[in-house]
Amino acid sequence: MATGRAAFPLTEAQEGLWYAQALDRANPIFNCGQYIELRGPLDVARFHRAFDAAVAQSPALRLRFGMEGGAPRQWLADEAPLLEVVDLSGADRPEHEALARMQADSGRAVDLAAEQAGRFVLYLLGGDRAFWYERIHHLATDGFGIVLLTNRVGELYSADTTGKAPAPFKALEPVLEEDAAYRQSDRRAADAAFWQDEMRGLETVAGPAEGRAVTSARFDRARLDLPPEFCEALNSVSKAAGVGWPDALTVLSAAYFSRVSGVGERVYGLPFMARMGTKAARVPCMWMNVLPYRCEPDEDAPLSELLKTEAQRLGALRKHGRYRSEHLRRDLRRTAIDARLYGPMINVQPFDMPPRFAGLEAHLHILGAGAVDDITATFRGDAIASLSLEIDSNPALYTADEARAHLDRLAAFLTAALGAARLADVPTLTPAEERWTVQEVNATEHPIPEATLTDLICAQMRATPEAPAVVYGDTTLSYGELDRRSAALAAALRAQGAGPGKVVATALPRSEHLAVALVAILRAGAAYVPLDPENPPARLAALLERTGAVALLAEADLDAGGMAPFAPEAWPETGEAPEPGTTPDDLAYILFTSGSTGEPKGVMIEHRAIVNRLLWMRDHYGIGAQDVILQKTPTTFDVSVWELFLPYLCGATLVFAEPGAHRDPSAIARLVRRRGITTMHFVPSMLSAFLEAPASEGLALTRVFCSGEALTAEHRSRFHARVKAQLHNLYGPTEAAVDVTYWDAAPEDDSLPLPIGFPVWNTRVMVLDARMRPVPPGVHGQLYLGGLQLARGYLGRPDLTEERFIADPFRPGERLYATGDVAYLRPDGAVVYAGRADHQVKIRGMRIEPGEIEGAIKATGQVRDAVVLARADGGADPRLVAYVLTGPDFDTAPLLAELATALPSHMVPSAVVALESWPMTSSGKLDRKALPAPVLEMPKGTPPVGPVEARLAALYREVLHLPQTPGREADFFDLGGDSLTALTLSFRIEAIFGQDPGLGQIFETPGLAQLARALEMADTARAGLSPLLPLAEGEGAPLFILHPAGGLGWGYRRLARALSAPRPVYAVQSPLLTGEALPGSLRTLAVDYADRIEAQAPQGMIHLAGWSVGGILAQEIAVELAARGRVPGLVAMLDSYPAECWRAEPELSDAEALRALLVIAGHDPDSHPELDSRAAVVGFLKQGGTPLGSLPDAVLDGVVQLVTGTNRLIRNHEHRRYGGTLTHVRAARDHAGRDLHAGLWDSHAARVEALDLPLLHPEMVSQVAADALGPEFSARMAQAEAEGRRQRRSA
Amino acid sequence: MSLTQEKMRADIAEALEIAPEEITAEANLFDLGLDSMRLMSLVMTWQDEAEDADLSEIWEHQTFAGWWGVVAAQHAGA
Repeated sequence: MATGRAAFPLTEAQEGLWYAQALDRANPIFNCGQYIELRGPLDVARFHRAFDAAVAQSPALRLRFGMEGGAPRQWLADEAPLLEVVDLSGADRPEHEALARMQADSGRAVDLAAEQAGRFVLYLLGGDRAFWYERIHHLATDGFGIVLLTNRVGELYSADTTGKAPAPFKALEPVLEEDAAYRQSDRRAADAAFWQDEMRGLETVAGPAEGRAVTSARFDRARLDLPPEFCEALNSVSKAAGVGWPDALTVLSAAYFSRVSGVGERVYGLPFMARMGTKAARVPCMWMNVLPYRCEPDEDAPLSELLKTEAQRLGALRKHGRYRSEHLRRDLRRTAIDARLYGPMINVQPFDMPPRFAGLEAHLHILGAGAVDDITATFRGDAIASLSLEIDSNPALYTADEARAHLDRLAAFLTAALGAARLADVPTLTPAEERWTVQEVNATEHPIPEATLTDLICAQMRATPEAPAVVYGDTTLSYGELDRRSAALAAALRAQGAGPGKVVATALPRSEHLAVALVAILRAGAAYVPLDPENPPARLAALLERTGAVALLAEADLDAGGMAPFAPEAWPETGEAPEPGTTPDDLAYILFTSGSTGEPKGVMIEHRAIVNRLLWMRDHYGIGAQDVILQKTPTTFDVSVWELFLPYLCGATLVFAEPGAHRDPSAIARLVRRRGITTMHFVPSMLSAFLEAPASEGLALTRVFCSGEALTAEHRSRFHARVKAQLHNLYGPTEAAVDVTYWDAAPEDDSLPLPIGFPVWNTRVMVLDARMRPVPPGVHGQLYLGGLQLARGYLGRPDLTEERFIADPFRPGERLYATGDVAYLRPDGAVVYAGRADHQVKIRGMRIEPGEIEGAIKATGQVRDAVVLARADGGADPRLVAYVLTGPDFDTAPLLAELATALPSHMVPSAVVALESWPMTSSGKLDRKALPAPVLEMPKGTPPVGPVEARLAALYREVLHLPQTPGREADFFDLGGDSLTALTLSFRIEAIFGQDPGLGQIFETPGLAQLARALEMADTARAGLSPLLPLAEGEGAPLFILHPAGGLGWGYRRLARALSAPRPVYAVQSPLLTGEALPGSLRTLAVDYADRIEAQAPQGMIHLAGWSVGGILAQEIAVELAARGRVPGLVAMLDSYPAECWRAEPELSDAEALRALLVIAGHDPDSHPELDSRAAVVGFLKQGGTPLGSLPDAVLDGVVQLVTGTNRLIRNHEHRRYGGTLTHVRAARDHAGRDLHAGLWDSHAARVEALDLPLLHPEMVSQVAADALGPEFSARMAQAEAEGRRQRRSA
Repeated sequence: MSLTQEKMRADIAEALEIAPEEITAEANLFDLGLDSMRLMSLVMTWQDEAEDADLSEIWEHQTFAGWWGVVAAQHAGA
């Protein structure tokens, strides 16, 4: 093979890595580093010889890499890496020193074009110890290649003793040829097809951690040695199943990760050396691949059967294992960062044994073996002598504790699995973790009295009869009045049949009557059922019938479809309360919740449950007689229960909001202020609206509770910025007596996401997997609730009750309620809510129950069956797809037309797929994953507009190998682009457009038209920075307007356009903005500008002007030009004053420079006192859409530097006298307290003509100034030109 | 070196749990279910019998004929 600079392409294996490294050149994670610890009498010279001989056989170590012609290439450098021998035996702590040096070297990114890909150091530590350090970039060789090389050095070292020199490694050329041949082969096409099929329909891939799995600059490692008993069990189980032990470890590890991963598909990355049977088999080089292993282990299958089945699958994957997973990712269009192909990696390294050196003891220590995107389990050893387990994790996704927990849990899981008949019997958690989740998190036992809600209310009414109990508008009921009136109504209700086991309905709006009604129903011994008076009569009638209500307390005019309301006007004033006769096991209330089936479910809550909830709240928050509690939640929503009854359990006052006021933020704020409310509730979305209302500013109360929706960290910070009160997050379903968990969302709480918190008294929270096994902290599962607060069940629906209230596997005889909510436990035991478990979906922010749409489709009678899914194919936004079972001649149009009349528009499916039968899973259920993606008519797209779009469209087509030129709406990534092709695109753009848009820009604006705009804008921004910026065209002598302190001359555009006769106008801008250095003096700067001006205007008159610093420059340039024999015409300065005025001033501070920058951008700095830092000013400018704000950060920073730098130049400047006329325009309304005027220039010019404009200094470049100065300057320039002509004639 | 073609075929057949007749000269051994672990242990077994011969080149081949070719070359060289 030729050496030197004869470049050749990368192998397929190298390509993927090369792009990954090119995306992040400074990332050292692609360094593979290790060291061999050598003990014994090392012969350094012999080692050196062995090393040199091994390296001579390994040309891959001489590879260098770089770009050529838009593609990555590699070539062989002449020189091979050398062995460095470093004697550290004299160091203080030789071992420590060696480790530090190795780590520093491994942590450094290698310049692949200029440096050796590998580095090798032999550290002599003294006392017959040495570390042999090897660091090789992954591009040069993979891990197996390093093993080959390392062992070869050992063999050659030992050969002096054994006399057995191994045959040298084979050459690199056949390896490259084999790679090239594979690229062209039919086998590659067959492999590609195999993998396409293997990954068909792949959805989002899950991993054990939340967050984006993107390579970090380092990874964490936790490690343990598996004991000999483990190896024995592994070998015997593998042998019994007839599988290799590495496959058994792979399958069982996959089963573990399946247990602890979140929602999504289980796919694991298996590093595969891919060498067997190839020319690369015994050659150090980069050859390995990662096989995506899609694995949903059948936990019910006998273990040996499972292992056998899966091992066969693994064999099939390996057979096609040459095909690169990077290519597969592209084939599957899963190139977005979130659309990864596999989650955790499982790496079994049976060959990774330490090398043998004759006469020495050798131990291998791995420092790094490449990138860890998520988490990697690595097994090293032969499973006879030893076997170790390492967990490498991405620190961006896992804390060190979490990684350690995975290590221990995986080891425990594997150990248990090897002794189990089937995986289903193997717990996910270690015994200690199980104890914690089942017992410790739920240690909530707390005694409560054996009393009914009625007992507790009556006790309070008797205890404080004078205290105010209920306030509504101008009406206040004392506890005594509440007692009297509720007793009278209770007697009347008892007469109508109310009593224990009976139900009384109420549909009253908020008022004191509602308070009386509820207490009366309870005192009559009945349970109350709240109904919404807004419901249609038929629905009210149906609910009354289902509950068997004996009475309906409502306004007289309510039409309840039959039952006559018992209205407040008819209630008796006096009467003896009956003995309620209820026990804590009787029902207190029934609440209807809407069900997905369409029929509302009546949740039956017993006294014991709600008493536990209310007493917990009273004691936990210390709510007492001093508190005033706002009641604003409709009674049909369970939050109302504590608002309505908690006051009576504390002797506090209940204040009813007016009907309708609960939706009006300013009415609520008014009420809180006027009534001195201390305690109230918000649904988070309402809280959000409330915090936006001006009325909520500065509101102060004791505590605010939120529940009903997810309270976010953003709510928390907005709340505390505006309202002075505690904020508490509560969670619970109606089925568990309002709330079961609580979290203090205090200002100092920085939890993200904000948890729903810890269980209340006598309550258990369990996060369980689908087989009711507890999951580890951080892992999503379904939230189950247990304890005193569980509802009795659903009224009249024992089937539903049985489905949702199930036997508690951890406490025989008790029940758990399946919430249908997905949650996870934090390591501190707090529960975090993570969404709904059922099929409810969100389309454009709207919650949709697919069952409802399915029902509507079936109701049309046009199909036999229907299933509706929200699909997000290809990373697009989810859309509703209806699958229908029909005959062969089905037409979707009539179905969609009918649905459009039956459903709100957001619920009409965007695609209908007709099938003749459902795909089924092995267990006979509908296989939702097998439902095909709808075939969409691709939008044709409009043709590219303009040359940039046209060239870009051609580039998209070229880079992505598209059959035709894409339209301007085309998205690079939708068309199959990925980070690899994006990089190629950026290089191609650079080659054609002469500018590198940067990868970031392509990711930011992948749309063809947007990217074209971005390129054009970058172009404009750059052109806008050129030292001579043309502002206007025309005939005659040119006008050059000198930049102010910030270096930019864009602000002169208005003046240029306001001239009465068009002439060439240029802004002279600071070259510092385009990367040149600021010279040491203003004179040098002026000389440079004079050169540029002369180059632009080689002959004729030159007019000069400038604002502020620009005026000083204009004067100096006029002097310079005159000295060169050129004739300056107009020399105008806009509110400029000579250097001596500034020398006495203090140095410009950074803050003042920033203020000056605001002036330059056209803002009044005094109206923005908050902009006191560079970041704030730059942020403000970027946000404001000013041209200055659109500049790249580096240029903006240059502008800020210029403001201070130019100021320094001015202070040190000594004016030369100009022999002509200066035209000075003074900002007459400015300069209060300072005598700045045109006369200050008298000594620096032959003549000074003074003009005044009634403006401020910053306004001298405003439109007003331009309108005034345009004609004035035009006249003066014409006059100067006429004068010049006259002088030339007379000369 | 005592390794014969028959012994080699028999060893492979045993490792793959198939009949020796299925291992034809051009049969791709990996298609027949060979994996790296089995290959490793086979080569180690044969290496013991082959003493000084270097069988590592076997790794580069996929067929039985290829494998025997490596051994035969060692025979010839010995």
